[in-house]
Amino acid sequence: MPLDSEDEILQDFLVEAGEILEGLNEQLVELESQPQNSDLLNAIFRGFHTIKGGAGFLSLDSMVALCHKGEDVFNILRQGDRTVDAEMMDIFLKVLDILNAMFEETKSGEFPSPADPDILNHLASYLEPEEVVAVVIPDPVVTEQTADSEDITDDEFEALLNQLHGDGAPGIETTSPEQPTVSAKSDDDITEEEFESLLDELQGKKKATAARISEPTSAPIMAEIEVKPVAVTPIANVTVAAKPAATTKQAETSVRVDTARLDDIMNMVGELVLVRNRISTLEATSDNEEMAKAVSNLAVVTADLQNAVMKTRMQPIKKVFGRFPRVVRDLARNLKKDINLELQGEETDLDKNLVEALADPLVHLVRNAVDHGVEMPDIREKSGKSRQGKIVLSATQEGDHILLKISDDGAGMDANVLRQKAVEKGMMDEEAASRLTNSECYALIFAPGFSLKAEISDISGRGVGMDVVKTSISKLNGIIEITSEIGVGTTLSIKVPLTLAIMPTLMVMLGDQIFAFPLVNVHEIFHLDLAKTNVVDGQRTIMVRQKTLPLFYLRKWLASSFIPTGKPEIEHVVIVNVGTQRVGFVVDQLIGQEEVVIKPLGALLQGTKGLAGATITGDGRISLILDFPELMNTYANRGY
Amino acid sequence: MTPVRVLLVDDSGFFCRRLSEIINEDPRLEVVGMAYDGQQAIEQVINLKPDVISMDIEMPVMDGISAVRVIMARHPTPILMLSTWTTEHAKTTFEALEAGAIDYMPKRFQDISNDKNMAQQRLCQRLYDLAIHSTSKDLPTAASSTSLPPSRLKKSTAENHSNIDNISLVAIGTSTGGPVALQKILVQLPANFPYPILLIQHMPAAFTPSFAERLNTQCQITIKQAINGDKLYPGTAYLAPGGMQMLLKGSHKKPIIEIQAGQTGQTYKPCIDLTFESISKLCPAKTLAIILTGMGADGREGCKKLRSLGASIWAQDEQSSTIYGMPMAIAKAGLADKILSMIDIGHHLVKLR
Repeated sequence: MPLDSEDEILQDFLVEAGEILEGLNEQLVELESQPQNSDLLNAIFRGFHTIKGGAGFLSLDSMVALCHKGEDVFNILRQGDRTVDAEMMDIFLKVLDILNAMFEETKSGEFPSPADPDILNHLASYLEPEEVVAVVIPDPVVTEQTADSEDITDDEFEALLNQLHGDGAPGIETTSPEQPTVSAKSDDDITEEEFESLLDELQGKKKATAARISEPTSAPIMAEIEVKPVAVTPIANVTVAAKPAATTKQAETSVRVDTARLDDIMNMVGELVLVRNRISTLEATSDNEEMAKAVSNLAVVTADLQNAVMKTRMQPIKKVFGRFPRVVRDLARNLKKDINLELQGEETDLDKNLVEALADPLVHLVRNAVDHGVEMPDIREKSGKSRQGKIVLSATQEGDHILLKISDDGAGMDANVLRQKAVEKGMMDEEAASRLTNSECYALIFAPGFSLKAEISDISGRGVGMDVVKTSISKLNGIIEITSEIGVGTTLSIKVPLTLAIMPTLMVMLGDQIFAFPLVNVHEIFHLDLAKTNVVDGQRTIMVRQKTLPLFYLRKWLASSFIPTGKPEIEHVVIVNVGTQRVGFVVDQLIGQEEVVIKPLGALLQGTKGLAGATITGDGRISLILDFPELMNTYANRGY
Repeated sequence: MTPVRVLLVDDSGFFCRRLSEIINEDPRLEVVGMAYDGQQAIEQVINLKPDVISMDIEMPVMDGISAVRVIMARHPTPILMLSTWTTEHAKTTFEALEAGAIDYMPKRFQDISNDKNMAQQRLCQRLYDLAIHSTSKDLPTAASSTSLPPSRLKKSTAENHSNIDNISLVAIGTSTGGPVALQKILVQLPANFPYPILLIQHMPAAFTPSFAERLNTQCQITIKQAINGDKLYPGTAYLAPGGMQMLLKGSHKKPIIEIQAGQTGQTYKPCIDLTFESISKLCPAKTLAIILTGMGADGREGCKKLRSLGASIWAQDEQSSTIYGMPMAIAKAGLADKILSMIDIGHHLVKLR
């Protein structure tokens, strides 16, 4: 019999159980380093306990059975009768995996299949000491009885035999499915008083229903009617009527909303933002002060609404971070490394879609840090570090974007090794390689087919991962930066916008067309004396603070039909982060910052390289939004 | 009549919501609030002043037992513990009862009945009964509807007919509130108490072994869960095992305990009436039967029979009863030789020599 996966109660259970399972994941890993932490043991115990309760309610029997065993084991652990060892940890983590699998089965509308009896037996074996105690108990009773009477008469002997037989009884009794009924039934004979109270009750019920009918009509009316008779009772009545209303509200403080609906709302808010932009542009041309006030009011309200709606879609990054302790632990055990993972800023909120989209790239990067970043304990010791390596995963909100950092205190990356590797792979000649800056070298690891490790392990280093990571981060309008120091460690920084639905942009003019640069990519803007550019290797470049950046005339790519009248001596240059690189673009005019909603391109433009979408600007014109990574790939003939 | 106002305490929001759906279906009950840990529960009790509380034991921040203790000290309210009915969890349930909770129900409804609706109705009934009948809180309506006119009480106690010097067996039957009452009474008895005691406490099978063990460590007399074939020794109390029936067999010179498996049709396992009935066939005139706090009327028929054959009957008074149901049934039927408070029952037992 399949479960009804649409069932509200089941959904409610799944939400709660899902949260608990995530918690258990973290808590179990934490437990390994602090096996005596009683808060932790209690929390894990409660986790199993609560899931068991819910699963029991829904008759998910195999889940109940597993949680029940888990709960029992942790009950013993938290009482200090046993301590956790490494073998136990492995079993617990397996239990968690099974539980997660059951959870998925339940989610897909099937009754979870029973757990591997091996695991259940393993858990049961941890309960052993407790069972030994339980078996011992009947013994003293028997010996006591025999000791009492020195001469055993026939009668007593028989009784003793009976007793020994009876000994089996408690065992049978506990296993017997017979349900004890303790519930007290009310008197079978109804006394006068009871009859009267029953009558009262029945009448009371009628009154209650009568009251209920009048309830929907607003409270003040009720109060008015009630005030007429004696003064004391109505006051009581009014408070009673008012209170339940207030408390039932409190009882249900959350509703479940389909994310698709939230997406719809977000879209509509996006439209509203566009209309606001349009109106404020229109308003700017009129002198009407009242109008100006109304428009600025509209702007504030729209911004608030946009914020509020965005918040409804926010989820703490903990959702992704939560799985890392387990990932790091398993990997480190596999590789025989000793690594401590530190999580910072788990409470940082970001858009639900982003949380999901970030999960895979982050897992990849963390695995990389464990595999390539942190050295083996012996090597660490030799280089004067502690045997235990450290990986810090942090999230912070910086304005309208989120900064994620993955840092390890490992060996760091050697730029020269990377250069050499690039030449070996035929990606560039030695001269080009030697010209690469250190950070450009680090960025090489994102190039397709580039792997750091000499041999390929099953964990990472297949050389397909990192470029995929970069692509998926770029897709989120995010950027990655690497800093590294030999012997000290490596830090990967990822910047992603808070939300994907509304994008802050920099509006620029190319010829007579407006284009939007995603603001997250924009690094700086400056005016450039064109005389100061150089041509290196056929590529126009500029020096910005001792760094050489390639410079492109965006107009030549995107608005080539436009022929400028006269050549200005000063040009506007926007420095843009593309993946791991910085590139300068010459634009004709800078308009300013504007929040836009991304609209897909129409059928005619669909698939045009380098464009992420379109939007409507404040003055009602259409602006194309640029997708820099693709733009560079298409026009600059270079992988970025 | 306003419905009984229920506060739900459980760290699982899922469980709270399900419970709330079940309870709100009963027109006599209304869920007025939910708390997700013990601390919140205390705040909610003070803010909402519920008539009855359903309380979980395992919770973060503050567990259910500590919360019960604080609530009973600051704002006494009838509390029903929802606990796990397993041997390992029996201990915590007893602790909760000692802390002041009145009664307990299983968290897994399947433990009371295979019929879900039936189990849910029982839960609602229990919450309702606790709110209405409990004497732990001064509920004026409850008190006035259940208390007897004092004159009638006197009449029943006045006709003291039996001779208490002739006793050789004490039998105590109790239900809701019994675990604490039994502890308070038995703890007063000296190790050389001259008679054997039979204890019939309505309790699930998973709980009775731990309960006997617990009493045994707290009291000077020996307390054990009765097993089939037990002979009766003075200074020893035999607790009827849950899910079973405890009967007294053998001869009046050599009585032997017989444990029978409970039958599916029986409301109470163990049942006080059944045990008393079996005593009436052996040594009714030498028996002192005591009925303590509890809901319903189990024990009344047994006492009727015992008394007609010369037994002495004591009943707990209303004041000290957690639930004045079973003792009231005895008192109303005019069966009680003495109506005593919980503490006095202990005092009087000690004086039996």
